[in-house]
Amino acid sequence: MKKSLFYFGLLLILPGLLFPAAAAGKLTAGQIMERLDQTVSAPRDQEIHVKLVITDAKGNESHREMVMMQKGSDRRMVKFTAPPEQRGIAFLSLPGGMTYLYLPAYRQTRRIASHVRNQKFAGTDFTYEDMEARKYSTDWDAKLLAEEGGLYRLELTPKEETVTDYGRLIVEVRADIFFPVKIEFFDKANRPRKVMVQEKLEQINGYWIARESEMKDLQAGTSSKMFFTEVKFDSGLADDIFTERYLTR
Amino acid sequence: MKKLAKLIIEKNRLVIVVFALITLFLGFFLRNLRINPDILSYFPKNDPDVQLLNYLGEEYGGNSLAMIVLETGEIFTPETIAVIHELTTRLQLEPGVAYVTSLTNTLDIKTDEYGFEIGRLVDTANLPRDPEALTALKEYTLSKEMFRNNLVTEDATATLIICRLQTNSDQVATCRRLQEIVAETAPAMKIYYGGIPFMILDLNNMITDDLKVLIPMVSLVIIIFLYLGFRKWEGVFLPLLAVAISLIWTLGVMSLLKIPLSIISNVIPVVLFAVGNAYTIHVLSRFNETRVTSTNDGLATALYEVGTPVSLAGLTTIAGFISFIFGSYLVMIQEFGVFAALGVLFTLFISLTFIPALLALKRKKPDREYKEQEETKNRGVTGRITPGIEKLVTKKPKTIVWVGVLLTILALTGIPRISRRVNLVEYFQPQTAIRQAEAILDEKFGGSGIIQILAEGDIQDPAVLREMEKMEEFLLAQDGIHSTQSVVNLLKELNNAMGEGKVLPDTKGKVMNLWFLLEGEEVMTQLVNAGRTEAVIQARIAGSLEGSLAHQLVTAINEYTAGINPELVKFSQTGMPVIYRNLDLSILKSQFQSLIFAVLLVFIIMLFLLGSLAGGLLGLIPILFTLALVFGFMGYAKIPLDIATVLVASVTIGIGIDYSIHFLSRYRQELADTRTQNLPVETAVRITLNTTGRAILINVFTVAFGFLSLVFSQLVPIQRFGVLVFVTMLGSGFGAIILLPAVLLFSGARSPAGKMGIKKLR
Repeated sequence: MKKSLFYFGLLLILPGLLFPAAAAGKLTAGQIMERLDQTVSAPRDQEIHVKLVITDAKGNESHREMVMMQKGSDRRMVKFTAPPEQRGIAFLSLPGGMTYLYLPAYRQTRRIASHVRNQKFAGTDFTYEDMEARKYSTDWDAKLLAEEGGLYRLELTPKEETVTDYGRLIVEVRADIFFPVKIEFFDKANRPRKVMVQEKLEQINGYWIARESEMKDLQAGTSSKMFFTEVKFDSGLADDIFTERYLTR
Repeated sequence: MKKLAKLIIEKNRLVIVVFALITLFLGFFLRNLRINPDILSYFPKNDPDVQLLNYLGEEYGGNSLAMIVLETGEIFTPETIAVIHELTTRLQLEPGVAYVTSLTNTLDIKTDEYGFEIGRLVDTANLPRDPEALTALKEYTLSKEMFRNNLVTEDATATLIICRLQTNSDQVATCRRLQEIVAETAPAMKIYYGGIPFMILDLNNMITDDLKVLIPMVSLVIIIFLYLGFRKWEGVFLPLLAVAISLIWTLGVMSLLKIPLSIISNVIPVVLFAVGNAYTIHVLSRFNETRVTSTNDGLATALYEVGTPVSLAGLTTIAGFISFIFGSYLVMIQEFGVFAALGVLFTLFISLTFIPALLALKRKKPDREYKEQEETKNRGVTGRITPGIEKLVTKKPKTIVWVGVLLTILALTGIPRISRRVNLVEYFQPQTAIRQAEAILDEKFGGSGIIQILAEGDIQDPAVLREMEKMEEFLLAQDGIHSTQSVVNLLKELNNAMGEGKVLPDTKGKVMNLWFLLEGEEVMTQLVNAGRTEAVIQARIAGSLEGSLAHQLVTAINEYTAGINPELVKFSQTGMPVIYRNLDLSILKSQFQSLIFAVLLVFIIMLFLLGSLAGGLLGLIPILFTLALVFGFMGYAKIPLDIATVLVASVTIGIGIDYSIHFLSRYRQELADTRTQNLPVETAVRITLNTTGRAILINVFTVAFGFLSLVFSQLVPIQRFGVLVFVTMLGSGFGAIILLPAVLLFSGARSPAGKMGIKKLR
């Protein structure tokens, strides 16, 4: 329960200041990861409208829309706006691992447990773990495999005390802006498990963001793609958005 | 025809070369002959029940359940849980496996005072290690009906891992790999493999083993009996050569057409070895008689003369096998009919072309010694039996007829006692591992069988869900059904988590909200379609389910379904009971249809051969007697009708009629002679018995013991088949050389032989 459920962290959004391109001289793998992590703490708050397309193994698509609001790194509100039968379903994550679910048809809020980190988030191929804000430089050991075509290619292995579902990650990071564009996830038996690709990088209010992010489950044959249709940073989100009362509105 | 015979004799070298080439060509394809032990794949594609089964298999992640039971002192130990987790992960990755369900990956909805959680029963990222956590997990798991005696036994000594296999995949290969993985991952545990996929794997192995063991065994038995009968190696070697060539042709053609061997067509080699040797024997003996002249013309005449009766004998046998093509529900029985008939046709053809060509090539000097040899040496075992039969038949024809009638009546009373068996489990001998696995699955986990009920309607409508719930309650109240699974239970648990009790949500809005939480859960793809217009209810049922209970269940479910408003929701069922019911019905139908067809065909052939209605009916006497005998035997010896024994009747007719043909045609010839010499009918019977009768006797023993070798098969239906054909052959032998002559004498005593209506054929 150590981390909040809906930590939309750097993996998905990675808003970050444009660091001056790495000063001459080679960076170590550790330094690259630190640069990457620095982007996490960047925006004070954010409000993002997301279109979700979930494709099952047979190719059937389902669509969802949601608004995600986050303040700091540990308060987040997710509200679904479409399709109609899911409108109003909302999640609230608060510091200390408290997560609440609101179901409008029941007019009820329930606390939900959040320790099962390998669970899928809202039927997508992103697990709660994938969505967490985590510090790569502190949780993973990095090894620089290659630097070519303006990309760093890094291999990440979990540190001993790190709790994760994965055995290994291969991360490709844009060398100029320290933004991860591709992550390959391997399971504990070192079989390819999932792959995430981030595209349409854009700079908004000085923060970098990928407009499109797709996660493919290589074993189940499913995929989920997020389109960020509206992005606002540092708009001064009010504190009372992140309350149980706002959840039911 | 005579020209053809001459051609064969004159161009004997060419014939031999051509046959050798054909044999080499077809033999080359033998390497590609496959085995398909999957009985389900032989169900007719146009049967709606089969279509529904396949549809559900393809759309809902397979309905072949490969079941793996791990038995150990205690399931809830860190080591065992770790093994289950490791196995689950590895099995899931195996190609051909659609889903794995085990203790460590099963979906669980936990509710407590703080809230609820949708997750796995076991947190695999953080496997429980300390005793307290394990005890808590054990208590929790056993408290839930979903898991208790479904995934883990009440005493927590055994757990079940269910692998759903993809419908269109090589399940035999998948099962082999599953066993390898389990053996690697859980070497210290007692493992049981059950369910239809593993049964099919075992069948596959058994078919292969059977072919390796039974063919040599049958060959040996036939060699022994042929040698005992003829005391001449030529009489042993040539018939076997003819059969061997025709076997290569038959299996080569199957391979060329990409038709695999099934658990039924698996016996074709044995059938051909047992049946096919007779044709060459007849050719051989006629040639031996003719060799005195030893000219090409003489041999051609001999071939032409022996050709007709041998062809007729072959045709009746073919008719017996062809009868399976009509009215057989299982494609594999049709395939057996077609290829057994083709094999007999090939044997017949080879016996009438290749063998004579070979004999012509060998062409010996006029063999005077042979005749003498035949007189003295050829007496053999059968030579000692026939005089006894002759004595019996001529002295007491009346008694024999009455014994025959009484035996028939007695046998007829056995017919109502015949039971039917369709269950796959029954194919295995009781001591086999798969039977033990099935027993444990039935006893501890509610069985390896599956019933699937498709619900079509608006699945998010609470009214539809309530009908599904009632259907599940109805199913659980039925005999033999252990547990059910559907989206209903998940929705009830979540509704409970939302504080409304463990009942279905009362509005569609609530259902849709809850659905949001379930979406993306793997189990959902096994339960509902993407459009939420269809849902599946699955029930587990004993793997050893028998035909009668299957009938009851199918009928009960259909009756229940009929009472539900189809506007709201339409239920249709498939699964093991339906399949077994269809199989059961089809076996009955198959039996009647092929029986009627075969009797009819044989009657027509006899009519043609003997040229009169009375003759045709007379020829049927041994057959009808044998049929009564064999069915009576099945009733009293508790040998059920199954997919193999259902073949016996027609095989009986096909093979048994040959004796009548040979006996009656010889009798007709002798009768003509005796009448010109003004001798009593009895003389004709005596001569026929001592000549043709002896040959029949050799054939009876050869075929009977050839088939009896099938008791060494590993498959129970094939064993039963062997025993029944054994009984059948003895019955036909009795019918043809004891009962038939007795009837001839019995009726001949009252009416002049001429009125028997047996006219000259040629």
